[in-house]
Formats: sequence, C-alpha cells, structure tokens
Amino acid sequence: MIRPEEIKMSAEETGKWGMVIDQDICTGCQACVAACAMENNISFVGEVDAGYGRSMHWIRIERFWEGAYPEVKMTPNQPMLCQQCGHATCEPVCPAFATVHSQAEQLNLQVYNRCVGTRYCANNCPYQVRAFNWRDYQRPEPLSNQLNPDVTVRRMGVMEKCTFCIQRIHKAQDKAKSEGREVVDGEFTTACAQACPANAIVFGRVDDPESLVSQVARAHGHGVKHLEELGTLPNVTYFKGG
Amino acid sequence: MIKRLFDWLKQPLGLIAVGITFLALFSLAAYGISLTQKPPEQPLQFPHRTHVAFGIQCLYCHPGASKGPAAGIPSQAKCWGCHNQIQKTQTSELLKPLKDAVLSGTPLEWVPVAQVPDFVQFNHRAHVAAGQNCENCHGDMTKVTIAENPQVMNMGWCLDCHKTIAGEDHEKLVKLVDCGTCHY
Repeated sequence: MIRPEEIKMSAEETGKWGMVIDQDICTGCQACVAACAMENNISFVGEVDAGYGRSMHWIRIERFWEGAYPEVKMTPNQPMLCQQCGHATCEPVCPAFATVHSQAEQLNLQVYNRCVGTRYCANNCPYQVRAFNWRDYQRPEPLSNQLNPDVTVRRMGVMEKCTFCIQRIHKAQDKAKSEGREVVDGEFTTACAQACPANAIVFGRVDDPESLVSQVARAHGHGVKHLEELGTLPNVTYFKGG
Repeated sequence: MIKRLFDWLKQPLGLIAVGITFLALFSLAAYGISLTQKPPEQPLQFPHRTHVAFGIQCLYCHPGASKGPAAGIPSQAKCWGCHNQIQKTQTSELLKPLKDAVLSGTPLEWVPVAQVPDFVQFNHRAHVAAGQNCENCHGDMTKVTIAENPQVMNMGWCLDCHKTIAGEDHEKLVKLVDCGTCHY
C-alpha cells in the first residue's frame, strides 16, 4: 500500500520521455492505431480471436458516453496507450524480469526474449494496454514485406506493449551522436503522433521545460494523468474540456 | 521383465551392446555440435585472406559498418568492378560462379555468417564509432577463407565487453547494460 505522502514525493520526479494528448481535438479517426500497427509489426488477430478479446493494439481509442438512451452525450475520444509509468505496476510482478524499467530511457521495457508468457503483467496493468500473442498470427505474402526491420517480430506466447517507439528514439540518438550533437526536440516523434492529422498527440522530453511537449502542457495548465491516485506516475498527460 | 533385461545387459555381449550404443550417441552429439561450428556453405569460396593481403580495407566491401546498423554484403557488381579487369577471373575455376552470376544477371546469394537473432537490434555504427576494430568481434580475416565466427555471439559475450568498456563511468554503464539498448 502506497501512502499519499510517498506519491506526492515521487510525483515531483519526472520521467524522460512523455506525451500529451488533447482529447478535445482528437477526432477518433484511428490513424494512430493504424500507424502504430504498421510501425511496430503488430499482428492482425482476425475476427475469431478478436471475438475472444484477444485484439492486439498498442494504442486504442476509447469512447465513453454519458446519460441514458436517447439523451446520450459522447465524451471526447480517449486514446489509450502504455503510460510508461515511473512506478509501474506491471514491473514487480514479472517472474522472469521480462518487463523492466529502463534506467537509461526511463521507459517500461518489454524484453521479448525473456518473456515466458505468464500474462501477470497484463492482469496487473490498470490501463489494460498490454497485448498477448495468443498465436503465431500469419502474415500472408506480400504483407511480410512491410515489416519494420527495426522492431522484433513477436512470436506466440509473448506479451507486448507500447514502447514509445524506442526504435525511433535510438535511431535519433544514433544519428545525433554520429553528427556530434544532442537530439533536438521535434527531430523525431512516435508513429502515433506523426500520423495524427489533428496533432492531438505531442511527444517529447518532459524533463526539458523548453520542449514542445512541456510547453503544450504548460499552455493547457490542467492536464490529467489517468489513475494517478494509484501512484503509478504515468508519463502521458490528457487534456479535456479546455 | 526389467530384471531379465538387466541380467542380459550384465553378460559380456550386453556390455558390448551398451558400449556401442553409448559411443554411437556420443559421436552423433559430437557431430551435431561440430555442424554448428562450421561456417555455412557459400555460393563461392570467397577468400577473405587474399583480399586482405591485397590491402583492401574491410569498409571497402562492407561500407555500412561505419554508417548504420548493417555492414552489408557486397553485390556482385562491386566484385566485378575489380574482377572484370583481372585476367584470372576469365580462367579460374573458383571464380566461375562469379562470372556466371554477372553474365546471367542472377545475384550471388551469400549466406551471412555473423548473425544475431531477430530480437537483438545490433548497430555497427555505434561500435565502429566507439573505436572497435572489425577483428575484435569478427576475428582475424588474414587467416580465413570464408568468414568464421571466432566466438559464440551471445549476450554474455556482448555484456562482458560492454561492462569492461563502461568501467567506472556509471552513466555509460547504465546505457550499455540497459535491456532497451538492444532489445525492442
């Protein structure tokens, strides 16, 4: 049990990479969902497995509505992805240490080659953003040609989740290092943020007060971090009703 | 039933049978392990040592190593750049596959020797930029025909080097032993 004062104390620490999502300008077009699936080699589970609730998405658009029919009022769409918690509930429960916290990037990692598929992490995730490979899903030719070579193709029995496009982080860092400079804010972004036609998703360094993501967060001023009361220290901030 | 089997095995003929079975299994296992230690069959017996002896740099044929993740295996066009000016190419039996491939326009299908599994994201550039020479991992190419791996390329081997290089530098160590540096 985490005491409130502990939460307050640790909430002052910020992560490294973070995201702000403006729900008011999100149109719910699902471009981020498609872009994420393309970028990260996410399998398409098909109709039958989707019926079993085995859909695999690293980001999904949640929609809620208020009131009873016929006076239904839609609330803004809510893109939900791994919140890259600073104090993640998925991490301590993994018996194989397959989901670990990256000290270098301050992200929650999923190490596919260590994962033995207990699915404990997914059961313990309050955001329900982890996806499990229930089968080796087929990619009929020529679909395998669109696989991203920078991302592992996961096999059956492995848990997976949003990585904040760590392959893009590494690519940008590698490029910056080869040119002898630091990574510039806005040099790269995640697949979901890149695909968003409304620019509702902004990704960047939350520990840098000058980065776009910090500026957007300050301009809005009233961001919400989901289930923050659990002490998970999420790195994704949502804006609604601004 | 089992007791009769044991009794039969204890007599001289039985002992010989046990010995032969053991030897057969042992040699089979040894053969299996030896198969994994051999470099794979290549379309052409490419002599690394000859090329190195001519003073050709590694990066001439594998230029990707200093630029990006993959070092790259040269296409036959690169081979032909030099070899079409070499008289021996026309006559040599060993070079016939190259000549045939170029003339017929079918690519030479080299088999990569130094490979990492799909779940490992390896980047040559970072290693070359950090001052590692090719032979530190790939062995001395002046001694081999087809490239061979001088050691098993596994995670323990990677981490041994990463830890030695990071030394007392904590920030470097955190980056170099982080799971997310190679696995994503």
